[in-house]
Amino acid sequence: MTTFYRRLPRFEFVQPKSLAEVLTLLAEHRETAKVYAGGTDLVPLMRRREIPAPDYVIDLKCLRELEGMTYDERTGLRIGPLTTIRTMAESVVVLEHFPALAQAASSMASPQVRSRGTFAGNICNAVPSADSAPALLVFDATILLKGAKGERRVPLDRFFIGPRETVIGPDEVLLEIAVPAPAPESRSTYLKLSPRHSMDLAIVGVAARGALEDGVCKEIRIALGAAAPTPIRAVAAEEILQGKRITAELIEEAATNAITQCSPIDDHRASAEYRCDMVYAMTRRALYRVFLSEEDMV
Amino acid sequence: MKPLSITVNGKDYELQVKASATLLEILREDLGLTGTKEGCSVGECGACTVLMDGQAVNACLILAAEAGDKEVTTIEGLADNQQLNPIQEAFVEIGGLQCGFCTPAMILSAKALLDKTPNPTDEEIRKGLEGNFCRCTGYTKIIESVKAAAHKMRG
Amino acid sequence: MEKYAVIGKRVPRIDGKEKVLGQAKYAADYALPGMLWCKVARSPLPHARILNIDTSRAEALPGVKAVITAKDFGGWTWGFMATTRDEPPLATGKVRYLYEAVAAVAAIDEDIAEEASDLIKVDYEELPGVFDPEEAIKEGAPVIHAYRPNNVSVEYHWNFGAVEKAFARSHIVREDRFETGKVVTGFLEPPASLAYYDPSGSITVWPAKQSPYFHYRHLAACFNLPLNRVRVIQPFIGGGFGGTKNDSVAGDFCVVMLSKKTGKPVKYIYAMDEVLTTCRRRHNMVLYNKMGMTKDGILTAVETRVIANGGAYTAIGPLTMYLAGSGNTLPFKLPNFKYDAWRAFTNNPVSAAMRGHGFTHTRFACDTQMGMMAEELGIDPVEIRMRNAIENPKPGEEYRTVNGIGIKTCGLKEAMETAAEDTLWADRDKGPKRAGPVSYGVGISGTSYQGGARQLGHQSCGAIVRICEDGTVNLLTGATDCGQGSDTVLSMIAAEELGVRYEDVSVKRVDTAYTPVDPGSYGSRVTLLAGQATQLAARDAKNQLLEAGARAWKVKPEDIEIRNGSVTMKTSPDKRVSFEKLAKIACYEGSGAVVLGRGHSAYGLEAIDFNAGTGNGGTSYSFTAQTVRLGVDMETGKVDVTDFFIAHDAGVPLHPVSVESQNQGGAVQGLSQTIYEQFIMEKGRTHNMTLLDYKMPRSTDVPDIKVTDIITDDPDGPFGAKEASEGSIVSTPPAVVNALRDATGVWFKELPVTPEKIVKALKEKGKWLK
Repeated sequence: MTTFYRRLPRFEFVQPKSLAEVLTLLAEHRETAKVYAGGTDLVPLMRRREIPAPDYVIDLKCLRELEGMTYDERTGLRIGPLTTIRTMAESVVVLEHFPALAQAASSMASPQVRSRGTFAGNICNAVPSADSAPALLVFDATILLKGAKGERRVPLDRFFIGPRETVIGPDEVLLEIAVPAPAPESRSTYLKLSPRHSMDLAIVGVAARGALEDGVCKEIRIALGAAAPTPIRAVAAEEILQGKRITAELIEEAATNAITQCSPIDDHRASAEYRCDMVYAMTRRALYRVFLSEEDMV
Repeated sequence: MKPLSITVNGKDYELQVKASATLLEILREDLGLTGTKEGCSVGECGACTVLMDGQAVNACLILAAEAGDKEVTTIEGLADNQQLNPIQEAFVEIGGLQCGFCTPAMILSAKALLDKTPNPTDEEIRKGLEGNFCRCTGYTKIIESVKAAAHKMRG
Repeated sequence: MEKYAVIGKRVPRIDGKEKVLGQAKYAADYALPGMLWCKVARSPLPHARILNIDTSRAEALPGVKAVITAKDFGGWTWGFMATTRDEPPLATGKVRYLYEAVAAVAAIDEDIAEEASDLIKVDYEELPGVFDPEEAIKEGAPVIHAYRPNNVSVEYHWNFGAVEKAFARSHIVREDRFETGKVVTGFLEPPASLAYYDPSGSITVWPAKQSPYFHYRHLAACFNLPLNRVRVIQPFIGGGFGGTKNDSVAGDFCVVMLSKKTGKPVKYIYAMDEVLTTCRRRHNMVLYNKMGMTKDGILTAVETRVIANGGAYTAIGPLTMYLAGSGNTLPFKLPNFKYDAWRAFTNNPVSAAMRGHGFTHTRFACDTQMGMMAEELGIDPVEIRMRNAIENPKPGEEYRTVNGIGIKTCGLKEAMETAAEDTLWADRDKGPKRAGPVSYGVGISGTSYQGGARQLGHQSCGAIVRICEDGTVNLLTGATDCGQGSDTVLSMIAAEELGVRYEDVSVKRVDTAYTPVDPGSYGSRVTLLAGQATQLAARDAKNQLLEAGARAWKVKPEDIEIRNGSVTMKTSPDKRVSFEKLAKIACYEGSGAVVLGRGHSAYGLEAIDFNAGTGNGGTSYSFTAQTVRLGVDMETGKVDVTDFFIAHDAGVPLHPVSVESQNQGGAVQGLSQTIYEQFIMEKGRTHNMTLLDYKMPRSTDVPDIKVTDIITDDPDGPFGAKEASEGSIVSTPPAVVNALRDATGVWFKELPVTPEKIVKALKEKGKWLK
């Protein structure tokens, strides 16, 4: 029988007071336990029975050490897992030094969801269209995980395995997203394409970060969301630009190349053909924004 | 069932709640505060918006059990003994409502917006309400009502 | 002095305060002691025979009080017409669409009811399904209903004038294929109902219905009870827009049956994904439109062939197909018209009525085609509509279309002129055409919609006005405010007619035990028909008051005037008395009179013949001219709509705030169904069954909207009113499509026009990234 659910399935709700307690619970219950921060992905997944009902829902919000975000101009940003999307969108430090992160954050969902949902949760949920991912990728973010076997740091471009799949083990919890300080002259942007002006998942999300020195590309990162089974870096496109004088033709070449790195799906939101075309269009736009100016676009 | 002490609209309550109960369910069913509505149950329509520690949030996405140390405000907590607050007044005067189902949530989102941004631009109002779906009005008179409320509140 | 004391004033909504306080109660907000929760269990297949249903495990679950299936309903079915009663409350013998209701559970809480629903085991024999309407009516398609072996649910063939001769002598003739999308009402409040079946043999329900009346008739028939033992108490309604809340759904019947079985009150509330996959939606149609014109752009003939997706049951389909056809002869003069239409059964959820019923499809096709032909002939888009527009009849005269629609007032020309003079249209060539990748376009449309719908068997509509001893007034009406503001307007009508202040009138929701019958909110009928009933009831009460006053003051009734709660006499103008005083005189005269005024809608009926296409379903018709300005990102196809200007002829706007709000809301809903919304379905399965992916506009998607009233003062509406609820959902799609043509150079004929479709079309024309 098909049932449309309005209620959540049965589970036990625990509110551990220490990280050690969280890790013990995860080590013991593994896949049957789910961590809960903002709940903006977890609750809908449970309600729709899209995941097997967990036995335990572990609230992380009593752990002070998981809160907060710190910035140091040499070492960059350390984002605690309980940092909300809203904080990322409104933080003066993020707006000034990591604009693409702020743009990604304010493009997500609604004010209500942004006040509760976390950046960490967004990348752990790992949908290919996750807005936080391309923005974090262009800043070379790394993820700190902790589990039964201790801590490990994973670069974000090795964090995603597939749709809704990451390297996080069933006994592990995300402790921190570390975002190194970018070169002061670098500019970044996150462009999200969707049919409406709010609420939509990205049909295609493009983040770019670059720095110029005398018109020559000193640094470039391009990341794509909703263009492959995971968020990806368009490395070959970056190599076309790296160390070269930036011209309209070169941007054209890089944007065209970006398509070759995509393998988007055909789904009810968009066809693969449209997504590829949009990777081209939006990459081009992002590169103009970062290196030249949009008025110069032909 | 576990005990929960919760403060809603300035009043303290002692409840027994299931682990799987959401804040929305206990507000509507345990406390009889039916002004907060259930639309989609998954945080996409905003009809269940309440204020929690001053921020507008979707009550359908919050497990009741964690709300113990929070201050929750629902639409019923806005008016002062049937004396409408300026936002409620503006919605009535301008006609920023039709069926009224989205209205309590819309007003609370407007309150959260105006508490932070007392003189919002049109664009800030639209962005501030983007989490609240309305099918009846086309939003035009809602935006006008929020502008009028901002004007009232600035005195 | 102004003509009216109340009518035309910007009064606040009569229920505004309740709604902003969160005190207005909707169906889901009701509870009764001992109440059980109902969950509807649904089929996982779109077309299958039901071989066996095993409810034993569900029944054994602690907390479950009853489980019902089709057999509990004894084979009862319902439908719009006596010959189309093909829909059972729970699937009987077979399921015909994915998620059709098969069983229902009542339990002590909703969690247990949901768990029990999962424990019901059904054995199915899957049958091949057919999902496309053009495929469904072909030879050899799987048969969905035995009584319609060719899957044709409705079929009409109309012929007016001499269409072939007219095409032969036309200067140009165009043939185009248009398609309207799979869209739904999109109300925010899911259907819900609380029901109590009293063992003495009566039903009380609090259901979310914009037509309590139809539901009341369905329950009486289903449970074999006389009408006076079926009590429908209407809560506030969280949006209707036609279709679902004008009809009954599986949950409605199940809660009553479960209450009957358990002796307890039972409540159901649908989930939003349940709504998006199982509730009534607008028919999606393919229209093969052929239009002829003279060299001067005068219409000679229209021939329309329509195939509509009816879904699994008939529902209100016969009316839909009638309206789609009859809308062809408005708002332009059309002497020759041919209509061939098929509504096909398919294994999809049921298509039914939705705001702009029928007309949205044909006006989209015809107005767009007219725009295409104007271009070919080199005639300005405003000019061509002006040349063809029905003239505003002189007072006392009436224009009749070839199929029998009667027009006494037509403000289309004035609306078009007003729209053309507004800066949005007038200055359209002044601003930049391009800004970066965005290309701007402005479009215009001229359309019409029916008001005051009357149907045989459903045209009765009454009101009672009760004058209390203190001069305040109770209005009792069966008319339903589903959010459109009818309670406000009817109260204004009562106040104006009586001469009291708006604040002195009180109206409550429908309760069929007390309120006189009214068929409900559909076909833009409430202000017109219930309004007339209210006006007559108020007049009746007023006459009783005037006669009592005449007797008390020894004057003639016609010497007494009442306005704004004050009573004066023509014979001694300085003598002024309160309305309350007059009410007391009337109420306590003699043995103590009760002043009750009664009225019913006196419009009668002009018979509609569905098969011939003749008749006049509405009492009057609104006319709308609309301009739209939008920008298209020529690289991504994304559309930003910046402005709407709507000039709407609603006769006289009785409550200007509601008229504006309805025009704004209708236009946004129309915009949405033109560029955003659609169900993506495959073999009966809906891929996008969430509000995230069934895309309806948010606050950041809507343009600036200006509404202006065109006054034509219709003789048939109370205080000159015509409809103001649906005109703008009809005018918006062609205006948007016209604007898209202006911006992109492409005529889009299939809705919705998504960004992806725009890019595809630009690529095909070699215009993408150029």
